[in-house]
Amino acid sequence: MEKKLEVKNLKISFRTQAGILQAVRDVSFDLYKGETLAIVGESGSGKSVTNRAIMGILAANGMIEGGQIFYDGQDLVRISEEDFHKLRGDKIAMIFQDPMSSLNPIMKIGKQLTEAMLLKNAASRRNARHLFNSKLALLNKNMDAVSGNEATSVAANKENCKTFDDFCIKATKLNATYDTIHNEAEELKVDVDDFLFLVEKKQNVNAKKEIKNFIKRIDKTISTWVVVNDEKIQNVKANLENGINSLEKNTVTESLIAELKQLSAILNEALNKIVPDFFSLGYYTMRNPEVKIEEIPVEQLNKQAHDFLEKEFMNEFISQGSKAITFSHDQSMAKKQALIDELHSAIHYFHDGEIEEKQATELGRSLSGKVNDAIDRLEVVKNSTEYTFATSLQTAISGYFAGIKHNVVEEKRFEKQTAKHDKLVAKGKKVDWKVAPKVIFDKELGIENIVSILENLLHSYNNDVENEANFSSNEKMEALVVYFKEQAQALVHKITKKTAKARALKLLEEVGIPEPTIRYNQYPFEFSGGMRQRIVIAIALAADPDILICDEPTTALDVTIQAQILELINKLKKERHLSVIFITHNLGVVANMADRIAVMYAGKIVEEGTADEIFYDPRHPYTWALLSSMPDLDTKDKLEAIPGTPPNLIYPPVGDAFAARNKYALKIDFEMQPPMFEVSPTHRAATWLLHPNAPKIEPPKIVTDRIERMKKRGAQLNGQQ
Amino acid sequence: MDNNKEVLLSVQHLEQFFKMGKQDLKAVNDVSFDIYKGEVFGLVGESGCGKTTTGRSIIRLYDITGGSVYFKGQRIAAGTRSYRQAIIDEKKALKEDLAKLTDEQEKTKRKQQSQQLIEKMKQEIASAKNDHKNCNKIYAEKQAKEIETKYQKLIAEDPTKKDELLKQKKEELASAKKDRLTNKIQMIFQDPIASLDPRMTVKETIAEGLTIRGIKDKNYIDQEVYKVLDKVGLVSEHASRYPHEFSGGQRQRIGIARAIVLNPDLIIADEPISALDVSIQAQIINLLNDLRKELGLTILFIAHDLSVVKYFSDRIGVMYYGNLVELASSDELFAHPMHPYTRALLSAIPLPDPHMEKMRKRIVYNPLADHDYSQQQPTFREVCPNHFVKCNDEEEERYKKEFNL
Repeated sequence: MEKKLEVKNLKISFRTQAGILQAVRDVSFDLYKGETLAIVGESGSGKSVTNRAIMGILAANGMIEGGQIFYDGQDLVRISEEDFHKLRGDKIAMIFQDPMSSLNPIMKIGKQLTEAMLLKNAASRRNARHLFNSKLALLNKNMDAVSGNEATSVAANKENCKTFDDFCIKATKLNATYDTIHNEAEELKVDVDDFLFLVEKKQNVNAKKEIKNFIKRIDKTISTWVVVNDEKIQNVKANLENGINSLEKNTVTESLIAELKQLSAILNEALNKIVPDFFSLGYYTMRNPEVKIEEIPVEQLNKQAHDFLEKEFMNEFISQGSKAITFSHDQSMAKKQALIDELHSAIHYFHDGEIEEKQATELGRSLSGKVNDAIDRLEVVKNSTEYTFATSLQTAISGYFAGIKHNVVEEKRFEKQTAKHDKLVAKGKKVDWKVAPKVIFDKELGIENIVSILENLLHSYNNDVENEANFSSNEKMEALVVYFKEQAQALVHKITKKTAKARALKLLEEVGIPEPTIRYNQYPFEFSGGMRQRIVIAIALAADPDILICDEPTTALDVTIQAQILELINKLKKERHLSVIFITHNLGVVANMADRIAVMYAGKIVEEGTADEIFYDPRHPYTWALLSSMPDLDTKDKLEAIPGTPPNLIYPPVGDAFAARNKYALKIDFEMQPPMFEVSPTHRAATWLLHPNAPKIEPPKIVTDRIERMKKRGAQLNGQQ
Repeated sequence: MDNNKEVLLSVQHLEQFFKMGKQDLKAVNDVSFDIYKGEVFGLVGESGCGKTTTGRSIIRLYDITGGSVYFKGQRIAAGTRSYRQAIIDEKKALKEDLAKLTDEQEKTKRKQQSQQLIEKMKQEIASAKNDHKNCNKIYAEKQAKEIETKYQKLIAEDPTKKDELLKQKKEELASAKKDRLTNKIQMIFQDPIASLDPRMTVKETIAEGLTIRGIKDKNYIDQEVYKVLDKVGLVSEHASRYPHEFSGGQRQRIGIARAIVLNPDLIIADEPISALDVSIQAQIINLLNDLRKELGLTILFIAHDLSVVKYFSDRIGVMYYGNLVELASSDELFAHPMHPYTRALLSAIPLPDPHMEKMRKRIVYNPLADHDYSQQQPTFREVCPNHFVKCNDEEEERYKKEFNL
């Protein structure tokens, strides 16, 4: 599965009056495409802080002390605010806990929904054009290189690439028009069916107005591939028109109902038709402008166009492209092989020897250049480690030397201020200021950072070398074509005020807000809590993000609304292949949502596994405590609340942070931090109880009982099926 | 029904309307239920269904529009809308009837009839207003009378101890006069941050009720405050701190301490745990459970988290858009949910069990499709012992058949 987001060894602290508060202490996790990762923990466990770091919206006193967050070839810890503008809300969207505070109270809902779409559209189209062109140019360049830059093949390659560009864009345009008409027809059908349902239930309807509206909308659905303009539809239209003209009062006659049913049937038929293969059609129409495609049945046309494209152009283009990809890949692999040794020696240099500033900077610079050079730029999925290596390494090295210099200054300041303070106190004066605590750069941590960056790259290179056998240039070429298609879609996707409104209305409907046309012109205060949260979700989805971060989206809502919102997020996730990070303190709500669950406590992940593993086989005492402190429908015994409160992270405990509240704590828990023990390949937990020498301890009765019950019920359900 | 149980609170035909432009917003519309002494009565429903308004109407934060609330047998809140409406209706009917009637004699007869009815309604309104205004006084007088008779009896039995008994009687009478019936109902609010005054220390917050009640003895107040702090799991050092120095769970404990310091009989807990972390929720539920046993409290528990309500309550009422649609003991309700809305609500509970969750199908409640009330309007009726559902005849038959009752 494709990794969307990688968080590695993230450490975040906050400067506070009382000292440095270590909110996140060494957190690592991956997020795959199309999965939901739930992060569960009490308030103050660092789950929100981690995700705010991903969004780049940490509070001003927060600082990221170490680690990386990789997304699409970028390290989000290091990129500038300017670059974040391109990601935030666009690629990574967030839903906050309190919907009221994330909506603008003096702006209408419609404006808030469409604002970003309109503002970002031009930029994103420009960006798509740029990406499309640069990738195609690169492909072209590699094609040329394969053929040894011969004049004839260079010209042929150029011609090929240009053709591809032309028809790809043309096809996407055709597809876009088809989509709008298709949607129109779909909406009309839904509305007609709703109308019929209401009539059947003998509800009051404004028949004249509604049917007039339907008639107007029929025209918009008529096209070559959706509703064919034939006698049938014209008859229905004419009959409906006659019907409403002779309509007395607002009651619907039987004949009108029959006509509407007919309309619904026609639309239904039209919607279930085979979708034309626009990608092939684009080429076909470009080469054969004289053929009247409306007259050929869709199936035949699809085949015809597809064969034509394959024969005339695509086979050739694909084979050329595959060769180019192999060429580029081989070159990059050779460079990587050569670099592996250099990396080893660099790691040694930073690890043992005395580091000298000039030498280290020079080494960093040369390594960065070589690594950048070795990147296979034709790969569609960017390897974040390689792409971010140069900036990470250079900032880490310069940060290290800056830190050393800073330490001297800081020591001096601290000594001076303390001396002054002590002097005043000794004199017996009342001192109303405190000496600000020392902020000392940890030298070893700095070195560790540098080495970990090098090691990460080395690891990634080794992986590449191992996977060399699995390399398939055809697969890569297919992925590349898909990439081109996507960019073409983004390029064609033009948003005007009108289309933005249509899209916003559709989004509102998608998130389950009734009567979107009325709601569109309302202010946030006119909505209930659940509705507001839906609007926030709609705004988050407006930009079609890759990653959706939900920060306790249902905590303020009640059960039915919560269930609806959860279902909505689940549905949208499936439809749009979103990757979702779901933050919550309630384990109950994530059983259905989450593919994987990470339990956080005091700034660390204490247990991580698939949903089944966490619920059926929890290993960490904190997970047990969380599970046992919430009642389910069969709970009768006294709940086992977790005593006390989480530790103060200004002075993080030496051992396991949960030890003080944990009745199963061992002696070693107070002395040493437990490492992550692996239970299964997907399931890890940080507790000494998993150590082979640890005493065998059963989870609390309330948890074991529940697991027992769940297993029994599961077996019953399986038996029934 | 268990007849041994004493009805502590009885809500009858409660109506709470809010003016909204030309229309009335019917937040609570004809809700009736009883709460027995010592039980936990859960009230569930989605936000905006009127459960909080019901709670607030009972404690008289709102003046109710119609219906009555009886607490310990004394009417503490009464609305007059139904009577006023009856008068208006009667006047209209009279006008119509008079236009139809031709015989003078019959006309006067009809007039007299309506005169009587209107007079009766006016009396009702006066009595409701009186109860609403003077319920504490009436209750205190009643208490005083009871004490009087009790001591008369005691003195008659044992005349030798007359002086001692008279002294006791005087003390009891004094406290009975101060006792306000409405103080016996206290409320715990949802948001522990918003419900505490940030500029008052914990002690001031908790003691406020006592001082308003007229207690001036500082030592006594201190003792009482420390006692309730201890009861809710805080220590006496906390008394001099301010609310912002506490965590969410501790703040909610302060809210509970404030509620129990006046020795209430009934506590209205309006979503006391919704704003808290799961681990803290368990602490608060355990605390409420302990207090209930220790102090013999009766609790009206308003919440939307059904698994917690199921765990905590003896009986549950389900509300939907201002109406009570189902009422039963908690086990019965979860075993045989009858009203389609209850089923929809139950099907929405998330369970901590991935396999079950994947199988769970949420039922959507659509009042238009689920009921056919064109023939007969629904009423609130006892479908099987202790299980009330709002339905009509046809639905009652269907529900009974479904569960073989």
